[in-house]
Amino acid sequence: MITKLDELAEKAKNSGKKTRIAVAVAEDSNTINAILRATYEGFIYPVLIGNEIKIKELLTSDIASNQFEIRNITEPNKAVKEAVGMVRNNEADVLMKGLIGTDTFLKAVLDKEKGLLPPKAVMSYTCAIEIPKYHKLLFVSDTAVLIYPDLDQKIAMINYSVAMARRFGIEKPKVALISATEKVSPSMQETLDYALLCKMAERGQIKNCIVDGPLDIFLACDPNSLAIKGIQSPLEGDADILIFPNLESANSFYKGLMLFGEGELAGLICGTTKPVIVMSRSESENSKYYCLALSCLMAEEK
Amino acid sequence: MQISKLDQMFDVLATRPKKRLVAAWGVDSHTILAAYMAVEKGIVDATLVGDEKLILSVCREHNLDCSQFNIVHCPTDVKSAALAVEMINKGEGDFLMKGLLSTDRYMKAILNKECGLMDPGAILSHVTVAEPRNYHKLLIVGDVAIIPLPDLNQKIAITNYLIKTAHILGIENPKVGLLSASEQTLPKIPSSAEAAIIAKMAQRGQIKGAIVEGPLGFDMIIDRESALIKGVDSPVCGDADCILFPNIEAGNTFYKTIIKLLKSELGAIVMGARVPCVLTSRGDGERSKLYSIALAAMLA
Repeated sequence: MITKLDELAEKAKNSGKKTRIAVAVAEDSNTINAILRATYEGFIYPVLIGNEIKIKELLTSDIASNQFEIRNITEPNKAVKEAVGMVRNNEADVLMKGLIGTDTFLKAVLDKEKGLLPPKAVMSYTCAIEIPKYHKLLFVSDTAVLIYPDLDQKIAMINYSVAMARRFGIEKPKVALISATEKVSPSMQETLDYALLCKMAERGQIKNCIVDGPLDIFLACDPNSLAIKGIQSPLEGDADILIFPNLESANSFYKGLMLFGEGELAGLICGTTKPVIVMSRSESENSKYYCLALSCLMAEEK
Repeated sequence: MQISKLDQMFDVLATRPKKRLVAAWGVDSHTILAAYMAVEKGIVDATLVGDEKLILSVCREHNLDCSQFNIVHCPTDVKSAALAVEMINKGEGDFLMKGLLSTDRYMKAILNKECGLMDPGAILSHVTVAEPRNYHKLLIVGDVAIIPLPDLNQKIAITNYLIKTAHILGIENPKVGLLSASEQTLPKIPSSAEAAIIAKMAQRGQIKGAIVEGPLGFDMIIDRESALIKGVDSPVCGDADCILFPNIEAGNTFYKTIIKLLKSELGAIVMGARVPCVLTSRGDGERSKLYSIALAAMLA
């Protein structure tokens, strides 16, 4: 079982595989820096799509030319389409966003004919967070894509997070549905959705996990809080996955951990046929590196 | 003691002080005979509010000793209902019974904002206690008669009435099945979604004193094998004390199945008012009417 993000990176390094990553509009120091380390360590093979001259300026000289490939497409929109096309045609295993707006990038991913999302699939975002104060990784969704997930989208968030946690070796992850309270209240829509989700998991309609909610973060991750409040939860204060009711709460939670909790993360877009990496510029160097390692793990054939 | 047969209510009531029944417009033979039986059983004292002449003639017709009743003369059905309710509010009676007046007029008297029997915000609902001949215990169910399509809040109230009734009957931690068409949680079927919500509320202690499970199909509520085949292992399945119906059609059909198809007995009352209210229909058998009175006396 992988319990640290460094173990995730080790696993990628030791896999003996080079995951092919198509980088859309790669002429960006931030993006290049993120992939250099993984390229040196030999577990990715980047295909840098964009303005070749600018890309070469950003590449350090000591990287061997057989460790990567450049495709010169100077028009950003075309570069994105090329990158998505490569992943679609199985010429690459992972798609990564470079110097292009997230909107334009995701539009290409979502394109019905030429994109990477299966019909009717939900696109969401899950990240694995490591914080010194928790005894294991914490998978959190949705920190980046879905703003107010409805019930079906919440089901997808759970399924994606469970699939990811299982790749980390957690056979039956514990899923906490997060709210401000453990009570079910008609005035808080998410708590009603959560009651349904719990029962769906109980009835085997959501598989491979134990689900409880509504729970607040204390009750999800701290057995003492459960004891103090006298609440029974099948998660026993030992959650692996936290599902948030909306983007604001999930995004604030993860950023709080990054800023004040010495957190690092590895995150990915989920729901697509192949992993898609979208990183925020303000992410730490380590987190960017972990995102790449995660994409390698998730790109593996099951 | 835990009551598992309706007749056992009489044993319990025999050990307690008699409750006072007040019958609104109790001038017909159905009402008077039922009240008379209850008085003879020694479980209640009965006041009949209505036209004295009518009451006395029914007593004569059936050879009843009219001195067994406290008769309060009142010339019309509407006034009798108001007077009966007033007696309850004054503490001169412990529970109400419907006589010959229409259900509408009876309910109007109970629901009257100024001088009725309702506390603000209270939800009026109907609870039936059935004794199906091929089930191993009583089944306490609702709502089969008053709320056509209960919303979530009303369902929570009904669930609490079912639990309260079970407690009164000595069933300590009743098992409540929340009925839907299937055990799967199907968000597009309101009864399914709301059952999941109510079950979770019970798990969180927001509904107390019972084990609550749902959504469940009817087969799974009353038959453990059916539940196990479908992979649901809940203590409620096959051993339910209470059933919450999602709508009046389902509830009412169950009620009539008990009477007409299973030829089994039941008792029923209206809960949610300050006192229990008996609302028997003329179609109910004599025994059922007596059980309804006994049930009201238990809850009063």
